[in-house]
Amino acid sequence: MRSSLIARLGVALLLAAVPLLQSNAYWVHIFSLALIGVILAFSQQLLVGMAGIVSLGQGAFYGIGAYTAASLAISFHVPFVLAIVAGGLLAGLSSLLLIPIVRLKGSSLAVATLGFAIIVHLVMLNEDWLTGGSIGMIDIPAPTLFGFSLGGEKALYYICLITAAAVFLAFDRIAHSRFGRALTAISQDEEAARASGINIAVYKSKCFLVAAIASGIAGGLYAFHSRYLNPNDFDFQKSIDILIMVVIGGIRSLPGAALGAAIVVLIPELLRASGEFRLLLFGVMVIVFAGAGSKGLSGILVDLVKYIAQHGQRWLLQKPWTARL
Amino acid sequence: MSTLLDISGLSRRFGGLVAVGDVGMEVAAGSVHGLIGPNGAGKTTMLNLISGHLASSAGKIQFDGSDITRWPVDRRARFGIRRTFQNLRLFREMTVLENIMVGMHGQTHCEIWHALLRSPQQQAEETAITERAREALDFVGLAHLADMQAGALPYGSQRLVEIARAIVARPKLLLLDEPAAGLNGAESQRMVDLIRMIRASGVTVLLVEHHMDVVMPSCDCITVLNYGRRLANGSPAEIRAHPEVIKAYLGGRLKRRAKPTQSSQPEAAHASP
Ligand SMILES: Nc1ncnc2c1ncn2[C@@H]1O[C@H](COP(=O)(O)OP(=O)(O)O)[C@@H](O)[C@H]1O
Ligand SMILES: [Mg+2]
Repeated sequence: MRSSLIARLGVALLLAAVPLLQSNAYWVHIFSLALIGVILAFSQQLLVGMAGIVSLGQGAFYGIGAYTAASLAISFHVPFVLAIVAGGLLAGLSSLLLIPIVRLKGSSLAVATLGFAIIVHLVMLNEDWLTGGSIGMIDIPAPTLFGFSLGGEKALYYICLITAAAVFLAFDRIAHSRFGRALTAISQDEEAARASGINIAVYKSKCFLVAAIASGIAGGLYAFHSRYLNPNDFDFQKSIDILIMVVIGGIRSLPGAALGAAIVVLIPELLRASGEFRLLLFGVMVIVFAGAGSKGLSGILVDLVKYIAQHGQRWLLQKPWTARL
Repeated sequence: MSTLLDISGLSRRFGGLVAVGDVGMEVAAGSVHGLIGPNGAGKTTMLNLISGHLASSAGKIQFDGSDITRWPVDRRARFGIRRTFQNLRLFREMTVLENIMVGMHGQTHCEIWHALLRSPQQQAEETAITERAREALDFVGLAHLADMQAGALPYGSQRLVEIARAIVARPKLLLLDEPAAGLNGAESQRMVDLIRMIRASGVTVLLVEHHMDVVMPSCDCITVLNYGRRLANGSPAEIRAHPEVIKAYLGGRLKRRAKPTQSSQPEAAHASP
């Protein structure tokens, strides 16, 4: 309990120091994007890791949150915090459209959510009156709080960090609650879960709702981060990216999801120098990490730490290098 | 004694096969009621119809004053019908304690926002759930295994965890599907004791079982099924003396009971179809 608190504080401090260590505006911008990705990965982790639901629709909720926040800020000058919250709520509300399909299982459910993502993307592309069509949303105002502009990259980074931390704490609490246990039970054995009094359809719907709110909030952050929305930011490729984050980071672990999001957002940037090969390299990395099984990269790291803890001591005691001196 | 479960004309067909045909049965409140019969007789199908895992083709299920024939599984569970499964269904990757905590789901109420806010109500409920789960685990004698991963336990212990998960919420009716299958002689004897304790705690039990050394000493009343039909109904003594039951089912089993040394192994081979 205590050590996990110390670990969390340590990670929080480290992340808070990032813009001080690398103050290049471009990189701070990318790091903020990674934190938005972390929130998206958390939302997917709630579905996949806890309830065993593979969603290919998180990109749609992300988009709904982004467009809602952007419209409110542009047309009604709604303060950014409220606009982001509204984005989350509308995304959550739209998840109720999935209620008729939550009874589906496995790949059928995944494909149905993909259908939802495709429809939402089409609405963004074609309903010009609502979404600006293929032009998207331009001139999203910079966020301000009490009259101060928070448009700088660093300010946005901290807004994203605080939000990601809040979502982490919220989901961590959910994981250790009656609700979280019910979701885990559903993922392991639906018949036994029903026999324990759990209404599967209601719990899956609630899981979609919470995950959609988180994705919508991430979308709201993105609107203010990018200040411009293009419908193709929210095509079904985005939903697949979000799933990749969780699979390579490690299913069931929130820190794993965060790690996966950081990789999916940052590695293509780091590989920019390798030009057209970067997506190929990225693809290969995805295959390698996914090959680690459901433990993902976070599982590999934990195993590695354990291995070093067990064997490192022996190496130190043997001191093989002394022989060579 | 009042009737807790009143089944009339219950049927279930699978295509052309009548797995359960026009079966009537009354289970008295506070009793242990046996349901026996050869493999394929329709015992598991009966339990599935009562728990709601299968819908009936015809008939009526009256439970504790309500017609539950059309109720979904989870509603019946919350109303007080809990069960175990013939082919163990644990939440394998959760701990033993967590498995049993899930059993409290239907009797507790805290929602997502309670968890987010860690409200005093939520904290109190979590404490109560944990305490009750530990009690139930202690009741089945597995207190020392609380933090083990459920799927990693030996078979006999997994059966007990499943029972603890089913009784933790103090149901009105407990459905046990072959709880002694695969257990050795000593473990079967402990199962008899456990069923007695469950009954003493006020839970009515409907017991499907092949081990006659578990059924006969446990049950107040026994219903015998054969090819989906009710063959007989009565006290253990009546059933043991019933010529048709002996012919269809009990003949071989009661003889084997006379030689307890070889009782468990041949039974286990019968256990799951
Ligand atoms: N889901 C099912 N689909 C088709 N047939 C089934 C199904 N479940 C059970 N049966 C058939 O119904 C009959 C009764 O099965 P069951 O209730 O499992 O018997 P018992 O538990 O008494 O051994 C068997 O002939 C079995 O093959
Ligand atoms: Mg059976």
